[in-house]
Amino acid sequence: MIRQHGSGVLVAALSSAFGVALLQGTGLLTAALRADGTTGTSDTVAALLRITSAVFLGLALYAGAVVTTNTFAVIVAGRVKAIALRRLLGSTARAERGAVAREGLVVGAVGAAIGVLVGSVGVALIAAGARVADVLPATPYSYANPEVLLPAAAVVLTTWLAAVVGSRRVLAVTPMQALGGAEEVSEEESRASALRSAAAIVLGAIGALLLVGGVALGVVSFAGLLVAFVGGIVSFTGIVLGAHLVIPRALRLVGRLMGGSATTRLAAENAVRYPQRSTRSTVGLLIAVTLITTFGVAIRTFGDMIEAAAGNDPVYYANTEAMLTAVTTVFSVLIGFSAVIAGVGLVNSLSLGVLQRTRELGLLRALGFSARQLRRMILAESGQLVLTAVLLGLVLGTVYGWAGAHSLLGAAHGAPGLLFIGFPWALAGIVVGGGVLLTLIASVAPSRRATRVAPVEALGAL
Amino acid sequence: MSTALPVQPRTAVDAVAQVHQVVKRYGSGDAAVHALRGVDLEVRRGEFVAIMGPSGSGKSTLMHLLAGLDSPSSGEVWLGEREIGALDDTALTLLRRERIGFVFQAFNLVPTLDVIGNVMLPFELRGAKPTREERDLIGRLLDELGLADRLGHRPRELSGGQQQRVAIARALASRPRLVVADEPTGNLDSRTGREVLALLAGAAANHGQAIAMVTHDPVAASYADRIVFLADGRVVAEEGRMEAERIARFMLSLEADR
Ligand SMILES: Nc1ncnc2c1ncn2[C@@H]1O[C@H](COP(=O)(O)OP(=O)(O)OP(=O)(O)O)[C@@H](O)[C@H]1O
Ligand SMILES: [Mg+2]
Repeated sequence: MIRQHGSGVLVAALSSAFGVALLQGTGLLTAALRADGTTGTSDTVAALLRITSAVFLGLALYAGAVVTTNTFAVIVAGRVKAIALRRLLGSTARAERGAVAREGLVVGAVGAAIGVLVGSVGVALIAAGARVADVLPATPYSYANPEVLLPAAAVVLTTWLAAVVGSRRVLAVTPMQALGGAEEVSEEESRASALRSAAAIVLGAIGALLLVGGVALGVVSFAGLLVAFVGGIVSFTGIVLGAHLVIPRALRLVGRLMGGSATTRLAAENAVRYPQRSTRSTVGLLIAVTLITTFGVAIRTFGDMIEAAAGNDPVYYANTEAMLTAVTTVFSVLIGFSAVIAGVGLVNSLSLGVLQRTRELGLLRALGFSARQLRRMILAESGQLVLTAVLLGLVLGTVYGWAGAHSLLGAAHGAPGLLFIGFPWALAGIVVGGGVLLTLIASVAPSRRATRVAPVEALGAL
Repeated sequence: MSTALPVQPRTAVDAVAQVHQVVKRYGSGDAAVHALRGVDLEVRRGEFVAIMGPSGSGKSTLMHLLAGLDSPSSGEVWLGEREIGALDDTALTLLRRERIGFVFQAFNLVPTLDVIGNVMLPFELRGAKPTREERDLIGRLLDELGLADRLGHRPRELSGGQQQRVAIARALASRPRLVVADEPTGNLDSRTGREVLALLAGAAANHGQAIAMVTHDPVAASYADRIVFLADGRVVAEEGRMEAERIARFMLSLEADR
């Protein structure tokens, strides 16, 4: 039980710690600003900080919820036999689902509590360090801030919801399944509703139109940014909502690019074996990469445009450049936290996937898959998921970033043409590097497990 | 493993696989189960051997050892001229891949691959394209096993018997020196079963392959050149070719003895 829920607690704790740290951090900064600045500006800054924190926390919560939903769906898939047996003995489907949902509540509460502690202590430590280094004034600030209960409560709520959504499949378990052979159990829930797909397509289309409109408007007015901003949010909501349409297709495409050897082909098949599971494992990463790239491209393009427009004032430009780099870094780190949560989910779903495929892996070993080929297969599977999210995110982010910069500055005096784009190579390099790292990390534990089983054990042959 | 270099036990140069005094124990102490209590067996080139015995007598365990899938608690297992205790995991894997075809009692196929994908898998693992002859053979096997119109189906779209036939096609396709089959006709009706048995017998007689087949069915065993009877982890009898009726009577007498 604890083993199964370890990653759920970790994700809840990460989200909660992140939210608490953001709140404590802004609280601390606001107190410091209040102490030495003019009241008017410090209030505005405080409000801005708070809104930004809320946005980033929302992002982390969403990533965490998607990951946890997946975790619960996978756990339930592994428990089908046991649930079916209890159903056979007279338990109702609702009672079974209720039990899973309650586990979600406990997981969320434990994780949230750990997060409150870790987040507060973390900020306190950093603050102490900053005071010693004399970067932060010694303003009094109480960490017993009741506001931190907000992110904690949000984490409990989203984890519980995730458990409820993830356990939907419990309702489909029939007592008959207790009698069935050792056949593989599918975890696919009822087909994603047609309504959801339709909404995704409509939102995507409207958003794309607004985005184009915003860029066009940007040629004549700064107001283009507003239109493009709305277009970006609407279309990306469409993409996330329709991830079940987009990601499996992208996975297939990337899978085909990986080559035709037996190992990579099997890996490619595995990656799309449970489309819903793969979608949920990658969507968080996709969101994070898209947002990081969006900011990166927008700010880089923005910077290059300013440089082009104000090329005759190098000193002014140097200052802007430093500020833009700082903004990109801070945003990337904050969004990167959601990427970490998404990464935990990916690692977990890959490990559980291997665990549930033990027999199949044993069969492959019996047929002559060497331990090395098995490791390579798992690595390819992990790489395919990560690569898909990273590639798709880079492409989407580039489009969004480009649209954002042009809708704002298209009308500026001396702006370069619409084809102009500033690509943040260093940032993209870090994103890709992070992806490679995640691929490796995600495949370590499953590979070790997979190669340790003797073929005959894995076949469960009696 | 023993410290002295293992010496191939018998003189039979055409033994494809042999086990020598193998013991297989599961668990330890009082809870230990002896699946095999000192078994000798050899399977020669071109020989079709049937293994029979009551449920739990150690037939599957013996097959796993013979195929290099598991290692004995004591005793030796030879595949060709090599003792498997002396091989590391990779070497053993390569040996299996090159020389052995399997049909297991259950769960034979990779669920994400279709029929043809499953049959071709051993070739792909070796990184070798099947030769023209091998292609012809595969086509013929799939045809004879009644799978020709099923090539694009995934295992879950096939019946138990069809799945088993795919596994048989896969085991024979690369003409491995040894085919190990655990109740390959278990899920088949008698006509399809006879076709499978004829295929196995033909593989031994015409292509010199060694076949070791576990079965509970006296009719299936009557296709074999030799029948080995196991009971309680020991070989209790070894006979040449026998009629189905005699086999059935023999089995009954074995069970009466228990
Ligand atoms: N992994 C294992 N752990 C413990 N005991 C085992 C294991 N595998 C097999 N056994 C035991 O070893 C004995 C022989 O099992 P085996 O599967 O070889 O029998 P079998 O002759 O193939 O039977 P059947 O005809 O039912 O398939 C049985 O008593 C079984 O319970
Ligand atoms: Mg058996």
